[in-house]
Amino acid sequence: MNEKKNVNDINKNIDELFEVEYLSRWRLILRAFKRHRLGTVSFWILVVFYLLAIFADFLSPYNPYEQSLTTRFAAPTKVRWTYKGKFVGPYVFPIMGYRDPVTYERYYVDASEIAYVKGQDSNGKSFEVEVGKNDVEKIVLMVEKREKAIGEKGEILLKRSSSEKNMIAINEAELIKNGITRFYDSNEDTIKIYTRNPMHSYKLKRVGNVKQILIERILKSLMIIKKDNNVEIIDSPKIEDFDFKIYRIKFFIRSWHYKLLWLIPTDVHFFGVDEPAKLYLFGSDKYGRDVWTRVLFGSRISLSIGFVGIAITFVLGLFLGGISGYFGGWIDEGMMRVTEVLMSIPSFYLLISLRAILPMDLPSTTTYFMLVVILSFIGWPGMSRVIRGMVLSIKQMEFVDAARAMGFPAGRIIWRHILPNTATYVIVAATLSIPGYILGEAGLSFLGLGIREPQSSWGLMLAQAQDITVLQHYPWLLIPGAFLFAAVLTFNLLGDALRDAFDPRSLGQ
Amino acid sequence: MIKYIVRRLILAIPVLFGVSIISFIIISAAPGDFLDVLRMNPAVGEATIKALERQFGLDKSPIVQYFLWLKEVLKGNFGYSFQFRRPVFELIWGRLGATLLLTITTMIFQWTIGVALGIFSALKRYTWTDQVLTVIAFIGISIPNFFFALLFLYFAAKTGWFPIGGIISKNFDQMNAFQKFLDYLYHVFGPMLTLGTAGLAGIMRQMRGQMLDQMNQDFVMFARAKGMPEKVVIFKHTLRNAINPLVTMFGYQISSLLGGAVLTETVFGWPGMGRLIIQALLAQDLYLVMASLLLSSLMLIIGNLIADILLAWVDPRIRYRFM
Repeated sequence: MNEKKNVNDINKNIDELFEVEYLSRWRLILRAFKRHRLGTVSFWILVVFYLLAIFADFLSPYNPYEQSLTTRFAAPTKVRWTYKGKFVGPYVFPIMGYRDPVTYERYYVDASEIAYVKGQDSNGKSFEVEVGKNDVEKIVLMVEKREKAIGEKGEILLKRSSSEKNMIAINEAELIKNGITRFYDSNEDTIKIYTRNPMHSYKLKRVGNVKQILIERILKSLMIIKKDNNVEIIDSPKIEDFDFKIYRIKFFIRSWHYKLLWLIPTDVHFFGVDEPAKLYLFGSDKYGRDVWTRVLFGSRISLSIGFVGIAITFVLGLFLGGISGYFGGWIDEGMMRVTEVLMSIPSFYLLISLRAILPMDLPSTTTYFMLVVILSFIGWPGMSRVIRGMVLSIKQMEFVDAARAMGFPAGRIIWRHILPNTATYVIVAATLSIPGYILGEAGLSFLGLGIREPQSSWGLMLAQAQDITVLQHYPWLLIPGAFLFAAVLTFNLLGDALRDAFDPRSLGQ
Repeated sequence: MIKYIVRRLILAIPVLFGVSIISFIIISAAPGDFLDVLRMNPAVGEATIKALERQFGLDKSPIVQYFLWLKEVLKGNFGYSFQFRRPVFELIWGRLGATLLLTITTMIFQWTIGVALGIFSALKRYTWTDQVLTVIAFIGISIPNFFFALLFLYFAAKTGWFPIGGIISKNFDQMNAFQKFLDYLYHVFGPMLTLGTAGLAGIMRQMRGQMLDQMNQDFVMFARAKGMPEKVVIFKHTLRNAINPLVTMFGYQISSLLGGAVLTETVFGWPGMGRLIIQALLAQDLYLVMASLLLSSLMLIIGNLIADILLAWVDPRIRYRFM
C-alpha cells in the first residue's frame, strides 16, 4: 500500500518536472491558475453572469420598462409543483391585490379561476362542468357577504352584500367546498370601524357592547357562462369536487419583441406564463416591473462598465505613465503634480462633482458613456503613477539601451519594448480594479446621479429600497445588491487567483 | 521631526491651490447656475436678477470670479450659500463635525479590530479559524457599503435593536456625559460597521500577510534561537516590522472612508458633509460645492500627513532619511 503510494508520488513528480521543463510560460500560468480553486469557480460564475447579461432579453419573461400597476411590490411568485398531492410540473397562480380594511396594508394573495366543478344543485340533480367543454367559457361564483356584530346579547346582521367572483383566493377553497366561511375578528380597531359607523349605531344598541365582528361568506350560486353569452345558473349548489385553473410555466413562449444578440428580431423568450398570471421570480418593484428582468438588464450596464472603463483608464495610464517615466524632466514633473492634485481630492467627491458638470437629463446611452469617461478620469492618476514607476526601472535595463542604440524612435521603444513588460501587472491590476468601476457606477446610480429611470442598473434598483417602509415590507428589492456583491466578490477572487498565477514563484520554475 | 512636518505642510499648499483650481473649473463647466431657477420664475424681474448677479459676481469672467473667491477664502470667508441663504462656513462647520466624528470613530474601529484580527489570523495560520477569517475578509472587501447599510437597516427595522437613522436621540440634551457617549455609540454603530467593514477586512488581510512575511525572516529565527520568549518575538520584533507598510495604507483608507461616507450618510440619514455636497451639487450651489471639495481634500491631505508622520515615528529608517 505504502509502496504504491510512493510510486504514484514519484510519477506525479516526474509529470511535474516534465511540465515545468517543457510547457510554455502561458501554459504554466494556466496550470497555476487552475490550481487556484476559488479563482476557477469565480471565473465560471463570471462567465455565467456575462451569459445572463448577453441573453438578458431572451431570459426575461417581461419587458423591463413595462409597468404593471396592478401588481406593484408583488412578492416573488411561488412556483408550485404539485396539485392536490399529484406532481404536475411547475405552475403558478395569478395574484390578486387585497387591502386590509384595518391597517390599509396592501398585500397579494394567490387566486385563480375555477376550471372544473362537480356537485349537486338544490334539487339534488348532479352536474359536472368543465371550462372548455360544452361551450363553457367561465365559471363565476355568486357570493354573499354578511357582516355581523357579536355583542353581549347575541349577534346582529349589519350589512349584506353580494358579489360575482371570478377569481377565488386559493386559501378560500373552503368557501367552495363547504358553501360558507366564517371569519371572526376581535381586533379592537376593526370593531371601532363598525361601531363608529353611524349607519350601524342604531342596530348595535340591541346587542350591547360589541365583542367580535363576524364576516360570513356564503356561496349563493354558480354562474356558468357559455359561448354567445348563454348563462346557466345553479342555485345553492353542493359542491363535491372542483379544480382551480393552473398556469403552467411555459418554455420558449412568445411575448414581447426584441433583437436577440442585438441582431435577430424575435419574440421568443425562454420562459413565461400566460396572463393574467405573473411569473416574478424575484418579485416586482414600485412600478410593478419584474425585478428578475431588471436585474438581467441592469447586469448589462454593471458588468460592461468595468471593462469599458478599465480599457480607457489603461490606455490613458499606460500612455501618460509611459511618457512621463521614459522622458522624465519637466513632463514627468508636471504630470506627477497633476496626479497628486487629483489624488488629493477624495475620489468619490471628485466623481460626484464631475457628474455635476453634465446635465441631469441626458439620453441613456450618453449618460452611460459619460459615466465611463468620468470613472476612467478618476482612475488614471493612480494607474499612471504605478506605470511610471515600472517604466523608470525597466528603462535602466540593457535591452532598452540596445533598442536605443539601434536608433528606434522613443514611441516604439515605449510601446514595443517597455510597456509589454508591465503586462502581467496590468492584467492583475485591471481585474482588481474592475470592482471599483462597478461600485462607482452603482454608487452614483444609487444617489440618483448615474443611470436613471426607466433604464435599469443594480445601484438604481437598490435606490428604491432606501425608503425604510419599502425596505421593511418588500425585502426582495435588495436582490440587485446581492448580484452586485457577487460580481465584486468574484472579480476580487479572480484577480487574486491571477496574481498568484502570474507570480513566477508559483510556476514551479 | 518638526522640520519634517513643516516641510510636508509647505508642500501641501500648492496641492490645495491645485485642488481649488480644479474644483472651480468643475463648477464653472457645469451648465447654468443657481439663478436659472429664478430666471424661469416670471415673478422675478430682470432687475432683481441683474442685482443678484452683481452681488455674487456672476457677471464677471470665471477667472476674476475665482480670484475674488480665493481672496475671500484666505480671509477665512468661504462665501455665501445661495440655496440655504447662510454663510458657507457656518453650514459646513456643523456638517464637517458629523462627518469627522463618523470617520474617526470608524477609523478607530477598523484599525483596532483589523490589526488585532490580522495578527490573530497570522498566528493561527492555516487553521480553520484563519480560513473563516479569510472568507469573512473577502466578503467584507467585496460587499458594497450602501448594500451592507441597507441590509443593516433591514435588520435594525425588523429587530428594533438599532436606530434606523439620525445621530442622537430626541432626549439627548437631558442626558449626562456618559449617557450621551453611549447614545452616540448606539447611533454610530450601524454607520460605523457598514462603512468600516471594507477597510477592516483590507487591514486584516494586509496585517496577516505582513506578519507572515516577517515571521519567515531570519531575524525571527535568530530571536527564537536566542531563547527569547515567543511573546517578545511576536510583539516586539515581528509586529514592529510588519506594521510599517500598514501605516502607508492609512492615507488610502481616508479617501475611501470619505467617499464611502457619502453613501453611508445618505442611507442612515447622517447629517454629514456627504449629503450636503450632493444637495449643493444638485442645486448648483457654487461656493458650497467648492468649500466642501476643498475641505474634504484638506482632510485627506491632513490624513496623509498624519500617516507620514506616523510612519516616520514607527520607522527610524524613514525618520533619519528626511531629517
